[in-house]
Amino acid sequence: MKKKLFHWIFRWLSLTSNMFVFQACFGTPQDFENDIYLTGVVTSSKSGEPVKRIKVLLGKTCQYQFTDSLGRFNMYVPEQGDYNLRIAGVDPINNGYFITRDTSLVNANDAIHVDITL
Amino acid sequence: MNCIKEYVYRWFKNYETNNHQLNYLFWECTTRCNLSCLHCGCDYSGDAPIPDMPLSDFLGALDTIPFPAKNFTVVLTGGEPLLRYDLEKCGREIRRRGMRWGLATNGYLYTPKRHNALLNAGLGALTISLDGLELSHNWLRNTSTGFQKVDKAIDLAANTPRLNFDVITCVNQHNIKELDAIYSYLKAKNVKSWKLSTIIPLGRAKDNTELLLWDFQFEDLLDFIKNKRKLKELDVKYSCEGYVGRYETTVRDGYFFCRAGINIASILNDGSISACPNIDRTFSQGNIYSDNFYEIWQTKFEPFRNRIWTKKGQCEGCPDYKNCQGSGMHLWQGEKKNVLVCHAGKLDITR
Repeated sequence: MKKKLFHWIFRWLSLTSNMFVFQACFGTPQDFENDIYLTGVVTSSKSGEPVKRIKVLLGKTCQYQFTDSLGRFNMYVPEQGDYNLRIAGVDPINNGYFITRDTSLVNANDAIHVDITL
Repeated sequence: MNCIKEYVYRWFKNYETNNHQLNYLFWECTTRCNLSCLHCGCDYSGDAPIPDMPLSDFLGALDTIPFPAKNFTVVLTGGEPLLRYDLEKCGREIRRRGMRWGLATNGYLYTPKRHNALLNAGLGALTISLDGLELSHNWLRNTSTGFQKVDKAIDLAANTPRLNFDVITCVNQHNIKELDAIYSYLKAKNVKSWKLSTIIPLGRAKDNTELLLWDFQFEDLLDFIKNKRKLKELDVKYSCEGYVGRYETTVRDGYFFCRAGINIASILNDGSISACPNIDRTFSQGNIYSDNFYEIWQTKFEPFRNRIWTKKGQCEGCPDYKNCQGSGMHLWQGEKKNVLVCHAGKLDITR
């Protein structure tokens, strides 16, 4: 609290709002954005087994991940409250044929785990 | 009014120096590089003799930090960090510790697939080097396909709202006349932030006059930045590489403050602990293979936190010393008898 007050006084006195956000000469900007850690497991409704190489796509972004040999996926995604996931079977030779499915996660915060059955 | 602001800022700098909270950590995760840029101060190569530092060694050092600051960021640099195949694993391990991470790259290997994998691993900040339009970029980067690749990399990054993304340009004799064209190019690409820097006479740049600006060109550069900042279309700024006298606050968001060793540390590929990676390696404060990283951060770094030793050479008797304090730490090289470049001095000459 004391530190916040101190920083506020400095900002006001010096009339510079960016005193506490800095970037090294050849470094990247600092990252203050919020994101969440999305994890899940994709299993087959027929066999109950995890399905590998299923493509999990995040809504309107270009982000995607393929499930691993245990059907798992995990990715950091931008915080946006509601999420649309598209689960697509794109590798019928290796993992059989699955119909693409959309899933919505509503008001998701912090970390999310979702189990998906295809 | 300016005098009051400067006074307050000096007071603030003292406060920050005494507090020396670690906010920013560079990790030179490799010394290998896929390019052989004309201006590189490091003389890295694709087959660097020192192998990449194993991730576990770096994490051991990272784990010595008991309570990382809220905005603590690890910036992976090199060499070219994208040459490391375990970069995503590195990122995930950093995020697992509640820290953020970013990447500084030449963009050559930044493909859509890699972009996606890095985002999945929690990449939050990215800087890509663009040193001009096609001819001038390829000239400096010493490659015929560099621009083509970096153009695609910029497209990917600029259209990913999650990323805190900026482009850095090293201004030299080949691109100084195309700054307006680069500005338009970046604006068209949806880039939000552009950082410009100059090249200091070090490494391969030492003997290449095409890389260095004349004093009047340096002033032109600062005028360019100042004018573009007024438009507020793009966050254009001069990097924090040196104190720029009367241009202070007009070419950057705030006054000059070299935070090396005050808020910025680095772990170099051989384990050396220092501040920014471009600082003379004789400033090394310890080594993660023999020392506790955080203990070194807390108890050493004296030359960075008390810069009175820089009051020599050109700096001795300089009326701006109280604001400049010897300029950027990377400008003290070799025997450190004098500052390598006095940016404010260049401007005084052109007056």
